[in-house]
Amino acid sequence: MSTTGDSAQPISGAGESGKECPDWQALLERIPYARHLGLEVQRGDAGVLVHLPCREALIGNFMLPALHGGVLGALIELTARVAAQSQDTETRCPRILDSHINYLRSAKARSTFARADIVRQGRRTSLVQVTCWQGDENKPIATGQVQLLLPTMAAQQEDRHGH
Amino acid sequence: MQVVSVDQGQVCMRLTPQSWMFSQEDTKEICTSVLYSLADSAGGLAVFAGALELMPIATLDLRMDYLRPASGDQALLAVATCRHLTDEVAFIHCDILSEGNRELLATANATFMRNTQGQQFHAGGRGKESA
Repeated sequence: MSTTGDSAQPISGAGESGKECPDWQALLERIPYARHLGLEVQRGDAGVLVHLPCREALIGNFMLPALHGGVLGALIELTARVAAQSQDTETRCPRILDSHINYLRSAKARSTFARADIVRQGRRTSLVQVTCWQGDENKPIATGQVQLLLPTMAAQQEDRHGH
Repeated sequence: MQVVSVDQGQVCMRLTPQSWMFSQEDTKEICTSVLYSLADSAGGLAVFAGALELMPIATLDLRMDYLRPASGDQALLAVATCRHLTDEVAFIHCDILSEGNRELLATANATFMRNTQGQQFHAGGRGKESA
């Protein structure tokens, strides 16, 4: 994992790019639901990708067949969460505030990939844009914007009190 | 996911949490994406409930707001309402509540394309050419 040709698209600027991949994988593996979906991190030409391998349990419409829209939503949300977390120097666990997903093309029953672009990483919030595609990266099947809250100490205490 | 009730234009669904739905190992919080899936499913069903017919539909977009963390101790309820129907589009609102205390956990607004059979036929055709 060298840094050759990575400068064009800094996806996760924090730390050396060689370190990103294992970090993303480790962060994903800590999420039970991501393990259930079988999400795995891959290194593409333009940076880190999250791969959703297709299997029968993820199909929402057997007539087409097509992936369940909720599975794509999960891929987008979890990719955004891991991207925001990998950028945070304290690797705080971000809370997803909202997500808005647009479905552009039908999602076939095949491997799906997601790439995250951080629109803005602030001190308390992070806005991440995620693009999903199958086969051709220039033909996205869905895009999503996810707003995340990076918890402060005060907020974490409030959480424990029943929030 | 179970369907609790289907009335004209409104659907209620229920989901019992499982440990694989959690967002972290150490907390029993349900992953937001599970709520997302539930809203998408209930929303789709609400289109049929609003239109009173079964036809192919496709989600155009879905926006979720996660108001509170969802505890894994309680089942989730999704109440999806068909707000407006046109010949081509259905506008859906969905609330996700926690079953016990009826606390609002998340809200969703979604747009569905109706009668997508024609488009899907074309999309399938294009897919075959490119494959």
